[in-house]
Amino acid sequence: TGGGDQTTQLLSRPRLQELVREVDPTVQLDEEVEEMLLQLADDFIDTTLNAACSLAKHRHVLNVELRDVQLHLERQWNMWIPGFGNDELRP
Amino acid sequence: GTQIRSCKDEYLVPLSLMQSRLKAVAAKHGLEEPSPEVAAICCHAVHERLKNLIEKLAVIAQHRIDMITKQS
Repeated sequence: TGGGDQTTQLLSRPRLQELVREVDPTVQLDEEVEEMLLQLADDFIDTTLNAACSLAKHRHVLNVELRDVQLHLERQWNMWIPGFGNDELRP
Repeated sequence: GTQIRSCKDEYLVPLSLMQSRLKAVAAKHGLEEPSPEVAAICCHAVHERLKNLIEKLAVIAQHRIDMITKQS
């Protein structure tokens, strides 16, 4: 789906290459693979933001809060980002 | 309250870009602009997601090389 009318890609190619070097310095990505990862990052951001907004609307509030993003990340990706808010509730 | 983070906040995606994308998406849904914390967690999440993908790609690529060397 991409970013819809948002044409700016949020993640830059040099920053992606930096991340790849951090993960494994021996890995080299084909240009098509890089392109695909950039697209995947953009899609991930788009779906996450839209899902968080939908959850905020479901709560009948005008403000998107951390917990909206956290709920989506946890349910959709089984992902927990530490350091945000209610960490004491976590194992 | 005070937040303690074990690592320094260096984002894969610039926070300002994430914030403006978030603002645009929120506006599309008729919502207010969310706090920078919301943009920050999204930055961390996309970092995590991509790191995970790259790690998997590295394993797959190595596996493919191993198979070729085994066959020859």
